[in-house]
Amino acid sequence: MTDPIGLPAGTGPLAGVKVLDLSWIVAGPTVGRALADYGATVIRVESPTRVDTARVVGPFHGDEPGVENSGLYGNVNAGKWGLTLDLRVPEAREVFRQLVHWSDIVCESFTAGILGRWELDYEHLRRDKPDLIMLSSTLLGQTGPYNTVSGFGSQGAGMAGVQFLVGWPDYPPAGPFGPYTDYPAPRFALAGILAALDHRRRTGEGVFIDQAQAEGTLQLLAPALIDYKNGGPALERRGNDDPQMSPHGVYPCQPPDDRAESWIAIAVASDDQWTRLAPIIRADASLTLSDRRERKDAIDEQLTAWTKQRSAAEVQSTLQTLGISAHVLSNTEEAANDPQLSHRDHFRRLPHALHGETVVEGPRYILSDTPVDIVRPAPQYGEHNEQILRDVLGLNEAEVQALAVSGALS
Amino acid sequence: MLSPYRVIDLTDERGVLAGQMLADLGADVIQVEPPGGSTGRGVAPFFAERPDESIFWSAYTRGKRGITCNLEDERGRNLLLRLLETADFLIESSDVGRMAELGLDYGTLQELFPRLIYTSISAFGQTGPKAHYVGSDLAIWAAGTPLLMTGDDDRPPVRVSQPQSWGHASGDAAGGALLALHARHKSGLGQRVDVSAQVSAAQATLAQILAYSVGSPDPERYGGGLKLRGVGSRGTADVSDGHIVMTLAPGPAIGHFANHAVKWLVDIGAVDESVGDEDFVTYADRAAVGQADPELFPRVQQIMREQVASRTKQEMLDISIEYDLLLVPVLDIVDLGQSRQLDSREFWREIGHGDGRVVTYPGPPLKVYLDGQAMDGRMSPPPGLGQDNEAVYGELGLSVTELASLESAGVI
Repeated sequence: MTDPIGLPAGTGPLAGVKVLDLSWIVAGPTVGRALADYGATVIRVESPTRVDTARVVGPFHGDEPGVENSGLYGNVNAGKWGLTLDLRVPEAREVFRQLVHWSDIVCESFTAGILGRWELDYEHLRRDKPDLIMLSSTLLGQTGPYNTVSGFGSQGAGMAGVQFLVGWPDYPPAGPFGPYTDYPAPRFALAGILAALDHRRRTGEGVFIDQAQAEGTLQLLAPALIDYKNGGPALERRGNDDPQMSPHGVYPCQPPDDRAESWIAIAVASDDQWTRLAPIIRADASLTLSDRRERKDAIDEQLTAWTKQRSAAEVQSTLQTLGISAHVLSNTEEAANDPQLSHRDHFRRLPHALHGETVVEGPRYILSDTPVDIVRPAPQYGEHNEQILRDVLGLNEAEVQALAVSGALS
Repeated sequence: MLSPYRVIDLTDERGVLAGQMLADLGADVIQVEPPGGSTGRGVAPFFAERPDESIFWSAYTRGKRGITCNLEDERGRNLLLRLLETADFLIESSDVGRMAELGLDYGTLQELFPRLIYTSISAFGQTGPKAHYVGSDLAIWAAGTPLLMTGDDDRPPVRVSQPQSWGHASGDAAGGALLALHARHKSGLGQRVDVSAQVSAAQATLAQILAYSVGSPDPERYGGGLKLRGVGSRGTADVSDGHIVMTLAPGPAIGHFANHAVKWLVDIGAVDESVGDEDFVTYADRAAVGQADPELFPRVQQIMREQVASRTKQEMLDISIEYDLLLVPVLDIVDLGQSRQLDSREFWREIGHGDGRVVTYPGPPLKVYLDGQAMDGRMSPPPGLGQDNEAVYGELGLSVTELASLESAGVI
């Protein structure tokens, strides 16, 4: 690298890649987290005067709400450097411009049009830095009549059809857990950014990515959308019903003493699997899929009578031994103790200045030869302000002081 | 962007989106199926006029080329090995252990093709105590913890009616494979990328999977919202033709949206102008010490629900845009199909199938501009079974006669 990073470089495949992360909450920061995991130097920029919602959403350390206590914020920002900037202040915008010059990649998720007002959108930034890679990620994208709609992923779930598709036909939509568009969106954005980095490496060209988080989420509904757009029925929410599996659902089990309920997920995917399940619930093993679908209620009753007498763990083990898909509906304690997740080292413990120790999730893919080293927990507000302003931008103490006085750093 | 790279895509219904993501970013993706067709071709729904043609399979093979190859036959395996000489990526989603039975496991292929990036998608991962568990969308959603948090409190937990687990895992596979590509730029070597759908599903919990680990209580399922410490808060509200998602709360993060909502209520005369003077950004702190009326916000919430109930989804969306509210309609599949936003962004693409039909598909997930020029995803129709055998095997030097004899022998 000809351009010094100014901060201690990471190790891994992306070591030397510099990222300016102005995104917030989950969809954007998750991308920066993945880049940091693999060695990129990621500066997370935020403003305490406009609190990142992730900081005020739990789970909280010790169940104590607080902007430095959020496990969610910690999870999506681990490994990053923290800088506070209030872009409404002109001096802050100048710092931002200099940091853009330093960076390879800028990620942002402001409402469409906001950065343009400050002449900090891609069209302006590329004039000085034509090889910039920039991700602008919003619910509905940079263009279109509703491009400025505000919202979290919860609104995204509504706009992406997922809210409607979770629940029971005779109930209002239950919706998925939380802001659903925040879950698929970062996968598409990460792949796009990594491809852009590869493209720039070969061609020197910059890349702009306009991500509508809803459009990413719609990829996961593609079969239902294509069906409807081409004259088929519009998919409705259908509980846990599956047209090609039966029995298929969530069944009650005997809960442990300290819990009110306990559930098992069971999916019988073939007639062959059914012939193995039928004898233990005293059902007719010769029933085909359509027979079983027709007698769904009766079979569910038989199956429930059997699961209710047993712990979910026992049902899981019995059915998996028979080659039938079944798993306990894990709560977060069970997940923390899940031997499979432990085997993958999923819960990573990191030393933390305020909490002694914090826990973040490991990466969702294991690369055999380049394991992830999460070098630091998510930054506290402004934790690295001085270091970044001094070592990356070369400001002296008086200049840093002047910035603070201008309000740029709040 | 990825046009220099070739992907050999051995996935079935469990991983088929991963290759498409790479195709939409420019890679040459060759879907390899057994001569009888992938099991993915049997996944519902099916085209009304073609009940044997899977919409699911079409959705996620759009943009790929397609060949057949019988990996259970040694001649088929040899063809695959010749093909892998031209490839950068292999992606597979077979039962754990199956690739080893075929002699196509990572260890074997790594020796032959040290630069190959070998990505595996499975329910629980390639190793570990549950590696051989039978996976399914529902069981994965259960094991990753989002299932227990989802649904109405008086019904069993419930999944998304269009299965999601494998899609999340496929998304992670694409990201992991590209991270391995950047690693290869440094080391010159490929590696193994091991994706666990269980772990991918955990992403759908908003980090609540960490609740126990950091000492916080688990959220409980609650229709249209969530429940914490036994207190439910509903995020949906009824409107005249369906539902909306509405976030209305005081506080430093989103209190200004509540101010906007109150401005709307003042403008339509639903609350007194004096309510408009309240600042809901700082309200909660002041209410806690008796400097603001604690009854005020609940009253605003109630009036808001009453006001939206007599309006339509579209009316409320327009009001939301005008006043900048955290409020959107709960769109159903019909609404999405007619969305002005999606139309305006040319999201829907009409793609001619070989048989003369024109089928409407969702466009690519990202709008990408290279040096200011728009780059599109790969909008070629889903390949018919073995459609590109001649072209792809032809590149390897196989003649039409050789291909015909391989076909009659059931190898391709």
